[in-house]
This record gives sequence, C-alpha cells and structure tokens, in this order.
Amino acid sequence: MLRFVARRLFFAVPTLLAVMTMVFVLVRIVPGDPAQTILGDQASQEALQIMRERLGLDRPLLEQYVDFMTGALTGDWGQSMVTGKPVLTEVARVLPYTIDLTVVSLLIGAVIGIPLGAWSALHRNELIDYVTRVGSLLGLSFPAFVSAILLLIAFSIQLRWFPVISGGGRDNLGEWASNLALPAINLGLIMAAYITRVTRSSMLGSLGEDYIRTARAKGVPGRVIVWRHAMRNALIPVVTVVGLYLGILIGNSVLTEIVFNRPGLGKLIVGALGQRDYTLLQGLMVVYTFVIVVVNLLTDLTYGLIDPRVKYQ
Amino acid sequence: MTASVLLASGLALGAGTMGQALAGPDTNILNVGIAAPDAGRLDPHLSATTIDKAVFGWMFNGLVRFKPGTASPATVEADLAESWTSSDDGLEWTFNLREGVQCHLNYGELTSEDVVYSLERAADPNRSSFASDFEVFDKVEALDTYKVKITLKSAVPSLLGLVTNYHGGNIVCKKAAEEMGEDFQKRPVGTGPFMFSEYQPQQYLKLAANPDYFRGKPQLDGINYQYIPSDSARDLAFQSGELDMLYGKQDQTWVERTEKIEGAVVHVMEPAEMSVMHLNTATKPLDDVRVRRAIAMAVNREQFLDFKGRGVTRIAKSVVPQGYLGYDDMTDMMPKYDVEGAKKLLAEAGYPDGVTVKAIHTSLPGMLSTMEVFQAQLAQAGIKLDLEVVEHATFHAQIRKDLSQVVHYSAARFPVADTYLTQFYHSNSIVGTPGGITNFSHCAVADAEIEQARVEQNKEKQLQLWKTAQEKIMSEICSVPIYENLQIWATRDYVDLGYDLIGSLSLGPPVTENTRFTK
Repeated sequence: MLRFVARRLFFAVPTLLAVMTMVFVLVRIVPGDPAQTILGDQASQEALQIMRERLGLDRPLLEQYVDFMTGALTGDWGQSMVTGKPVLTEVARVLPYTIDLTVVSLLIGAVIGIPLGAWSALHRNELIDYVTRVGSLLGLSFPAFVSAILLLIAFSIQLRWFPVISGGGRDNLGEWASNLALPAINLGLIMAAYITRVTRSSMLGSLGEDYIRTARAKGVPGRVIVWRHAMRNALIPVVTVVGLYLGILIGNSVLTEIVFNRPGLGKLIVGALGQRDYTLLQGLMVVYTFVIVVVNLLTDLTYGLIDPRVKYQ
Repeated sequence: MTASVLLASGLALGAGTMGQALAGPDTNILNVGIAAPDAGRLDPHLSATTIDKAVFGWMFNGLVRFKPGTASPATVEADLAESWTSSDDGLEWTFNLREGVQCHLNYGELTSEDVVYSLERAADPNRSSFASDFEVFDKVEALDTYKVKITLKSAVPSLLGLVTNYHGGNIVCKKAAEEMGEDFQKRPVGTGPFMFSEYQPQQYLKLAANPDYFRGKPQLDGINYQYIPSDSARDLAFQSGELDMLYGKQDQTWVERTEKIEGAVVHVMEPAEMSVMHLNTATKPLDDVRVRRAIAMAVNREQFLDFKGRGVTRIAKSVVPQGYLGYDDMTDMMPKYDVEGAKKLLAEAGYPDGVTVKAIHTSLPGMLSTMEVFQAQLAQAGIKLDLEVVEHATFHAQIRKDLSQVVHYSAARFPVADTYLTQFYHSNSIVGTPGGITNFSHCAVADAEIEQARVEQNKEKQLQLWKTAQEKIMSEICSVPIYENLQIWATRDYVDLGYDLIGSLSLGPPVTENTRFTK
C-alpha cells in the first residue's frame, strides 16, 4: 500500500507543475495591476512604474517564471505583493481554519446524511421518503451565503448564542467551537443534503440485489441485512461522491468564510484575486491543487477499508 | 438579483424583530467595521486607499491638522507645530515644533530631525506614493531641535495642505522607519493618540491607546479595526452590538434601514465623492463638442437624486466638487435637460440616427447602478451606450489604457481646486502618458489657468483663475458632472466622538483622545 501511495504522489508532481505554470500565466493574463492596488487611484503612471519595478513585475516573464518555479521547488514562495508577508506564513496561518471547517462539516454531513439516506431508502415512497427528498433538494439548491445569513439572524441576532464575527480564536475548545459552529453547520447541512441523496439511491440499488433476497430467505435479522449487507456495499459510491464533493465544499467555503468573517483559504484567495496579489494567488492555487490530490488519494484508500476486495498495487 | 432580494429581506427581518437595546460596550475598546477584505500597506506614505487612510488618521500627526470633524482647509490648526511663519512670496515656511512629543513604542522624542526625514521620505518616489505632491519642495532643513524650515521652488496653492495629517503630510518617526526599513509597514510608528498593537491579515488591526500622547492619554483603551468584506455580515455585527462604529453604504435605503436600529446614529459627512462621466474627446464621435453637449443634455440630474436618495447625494454643480477652495457654482453653464434638443444637436452633427459610444465599467453595484441609469437616459436621446462590465481591478487597469470612451469616475480629493483640476483636467495627467493620473477626457483647455493659479499669491486672482479654468472645461464639455455622494458612517449612541462630525478628509471619523463611551 505504501508503494501505491508513493506512486500516486509521484504522479501528482506533473499535475502540480502544470497547475503552477497555468496559474502563473493566468494571473498575469487577467487585466489589473497589483501596483495600483497598493498605491491607490491617485498614483501617477510614474509612481506605478516604480512600484512595478520594486515588485519585480517589469522583468521578462520567462525570468519571473523561472524565479517562481525554482523558488517554489526550494520552499521559497516569495512574499505577498500587497502585505509583504511571506506567502508560506500566510497559507500556514489560515490552513488550520480551512481544515477545521472542512472536516467538521464533512462529519456533520455524514452523521446526518448517511442514516437519513438509508432510512429514506428503507421507507421508499412513504411520507418520510418524500420529506427527506424534498428537504435534501432544498439543501442542494440553497446558496451557501443565503443560508449563512439566515443562520446568523437566527442564532446570532435573535438567540445571541454565537457572535456574528466568528474571528479567529482557536486557543481553547469553547472559543474554537463557538467560532466554528455556525460556519460548520452551514456547510454541513449542504453536505448532508448531498450525502442523503447519494446514500438513498445507492441503498435502493443494493437493497434490490439478489444477495439481500438470499439473506432474507435465510432468516438473517433485518438490522443485520440493512447495516452489514446493504449499507456496506452502498457506501462505495457515497465515498466517491464525498471525495468529489470535498472540492466543491472548499469552493462553498469561500462564501461561508466571507459571510462569517472567518479566516481560511477561500477568503484569502478571493482577497488575493481582488487585489491581484500574484505571488499569494500562485501559492494558494498550488495548495488547493495539492489538497485535491490528497483528498482523491484518501478517497481511494477508503475504498479498501469498506471493501476488502479492493487491493492497492 | 434574487439572492440580494433574499438578503435584503433577511436583514429587514433581522432589523424588524430586534428587540432590546444594547446595554453598552463590554470593554473600553472601540470596535470598528470596515468594508474591505484586508489592509493595504500600513505605511502612511505608501497607501492611499480609503481602508488605510482612516487608520493613519488615528496613528499619525502632521505639522498641522484639520480640526477633528472637519474637512475644510479653512479649519487647519496647529498639530505637531505650535506656530509657523511664511515669507511674503510664500516660498519659505518656518515651523516651530511642540516640545515633548513622544514617538510610539519608546522611540524617543519627536524632533525636527524626524520632520525633515518624513517630508523627504514623502517626496521620494521610491518610498512614497505622494512624491509628486512634494515636487515643489526645494529643501527641508532642521534649524534647531524644534524648528523646521521648508523652502519651495515655487509657491503652491496650499502649503499647509501638504503638511496636514493626510497622505504625505503624516510624520513618521525617523529612528523606527530607518531601523525597520521595509518592515515599517508591518509595525508603523507615529505620534498619534493610538499606536500599532497587532495585525491579523484579513481579520483585524488592533491599536492601543498611546499613554504618552501629547494632548493627553486617550479615554478609550484601544481600537479594534475589523476587515469585514460582506455587507450583510458587517451590518448584522453592528446590529448585534459587536461593532460600535460602522462604515456605511452611500445609499439612502441603507441609511433609512440603519437609522431604524435602536441606538444607532448615522453620520452623513464630507467630503463628497463626485460622480463624473468623463468623455474621451480624442475619439470619434466624442471629438465633436456637439455630440458631447447632446450627451450632457440627455442627462436628468434630478432623476439621479431621486434614485440615489436626497439624504446622501446632492447635485454636482461644477467640474470641481462643492466646498473645495476655488470651487465656483457653474449651474448656469450646465446644459439643461432637453432630450429633443439633444436629438436635434446630434442630427446637426451629422448623426440623425444617433450614435454609439463604448464604456467599460466596474461591476461594483453602487457605481454600476448609476451607469445603468445614465445608459437609460442617453438611450432616450438616441445615444447608445455600449456597456462592458468588468471586475473592479480590471476596470481600473483598462480605463488607464484609454480603452473606454466614457469613464464613470467617483472621487474625493484634497479640497483645493488645484488637486481636482490637475488630476482630471490637466494635459500632464492624461492617461497613458508618463505623468498620467486620471485625465480620461484628454482635456487640455485650461492648462494655463491651472498652472498660473497654482503659483498665484494674490488670493482673489487665484480664485479668478480657478473660475476661468472651470468655465473653460465646462464649455468644452470634457466631462458631465452628475452628483456628489457624501460619506456615510454609523456609530452606537453610546459613542461620544468628542467633536461635531461634519467631515473628515481621511474618510473615516477621527478617533481622538476625547472619544469615549458614555456608558
């Protein structure tokens, strides 16, 4: 299995290099000028030119590219063009927040979604099934930032359980939980809607299989049939979808982070894009790509845990 | 659209059901919410963004300052300098510094050395964004520990304006700036009532009260300046009492909604940002003054006021905003609203079937809605405005490459006519040229008057020159001034600013040693 992991990571290298090149080119194709962001709108062309030289943007593209690639490979990701802070420090500062949010939302999604999906499948075409299906469809179609505002109005303004500005406290468990609760519920509910639907249809598929009928004929108790025979087989597509969906979750986290004013990769990347902070954008895109690669790898490894027939070579 | 309606109704719901008034602040720290994802470079000589300027006003002093709460050159008063004198020709200025002023973080007493260093720094294009403002400086000398002499190459409309607590006039502490170099922007050191304490990117900037402030220890313990880009989150945080001071939207409905929150006070203050449509006179068909006049005649300013709200906007009356030194009411020269007349004029110019003009515009909602109204008004006169909407940073880059025939620009500047006229209407500022700033119209009809007024020592003659410059630009119709939008902030009623807030050039209400919570 270690060889499998090593090989997969090795194959990720060309992907990362390609992404780095594309990002380098793309951020520079988009019109906009980091110097203008820094100096404001009263700066003269002369002042802008001096700032561009200071940022190294006047040098030939190839030279900038070689610098960026060699720097990135040797661990020097440069400094944010706008704040002047090292890119790696910036990324490292917000990464834990994004991981917290993603993992906890995923857990909320799985804890709600898997049992609900299974339950719905078992009561196919009954009232509970309809309610679940409509509910999950609503969850899927609701924009994350609207649900975020509704949560804020309910829990922060009306009930005053949580602060509106989540802020960045991670020092003790209470503060951590209070800052994380609403954003994680917001994303978790959307995740739950997804997982419910996939679990339901996958469960329906496996409940119709021959081996289920055989098990029933043998007199295996219903609980065992559902949880051991049907569920275990139904989980493979669920894991695939969750793996794929994690990418979308990170995308949705952008809006959630902005509305709850929570630090995170998403918020950082939107800010960097608006300010045309080339160096920071480059660093962030590489981190994103790497996260997706790792998530895909973890998804593949999870298959083995669920299905003993899966072998890693 | 649906999303914003949902958001608005959500907010209205939140506002409507908000019951109890807030008891008061939990701490003696002023929590401020600003509409921005992050700070820029925290160096007063580098950053000119609205987001950073307010903070610089709280951390730094100038030789002189605008009286807190005002934004008019007439109210300039002593700050780091106790007194000053100038020669008759206006070329030599001597400032006597206040003694015993301490730099933040134990960087020692502020002396003439620091002032000389700061002004030289502000004039150096490698270290300052405002170097061009100081081009007229010949030399700055320290006569003794507390005496600074500024010699100018030529007289300027307002030397005191250049050394106020604004832009390059902010005085930094030499020892700190030299010691830290590039890192100064991560821990700026000044002499103001509040000093740098902590900065978390995209989260907050914390300032602590300066116990040694020369006007006395501030009554607040500090300021927590929070970067909150989401409009709705910022408003909700103010509503829940997490913010004591809030950057508002220049929008009537926002003002009305916020005023309904119990304990909220909305401040409408100077300076106004003037919304102007700059017409590129170097391109067809706008090179024909009749076409430009037709555009101006198709504009219904009253409709704009109804649309933007009369409580936050006023009609623009000249190519220089109201209240600026040198401003002159040009209402009589503004082409009157007359759609039929506009059509006739177009036909006369050889365009009986109307014209099409191209405009690149930002997607920022507040600005875009204005442009859409403008587009609809022009359409009635047979002028088709081809609108290409792009993201904000792209907009700024493209209009500076001369790619838009009509540029909608909204700006407030230092309140002396010279600044506005130079940046928007002097030929040296034409976009695309080395000195280019924001002359999008390629206007060059008033260069002589603008330059003469800059050095004219006779105040009356100077005003006359500025008036002539405005007349020339108006009759050339280089641009169509539309309306002026005032700055909006909100505070909780327990915040006593310590002065009457009429305006603030830093675009944020000053927080002084007298600002306090009343409960």
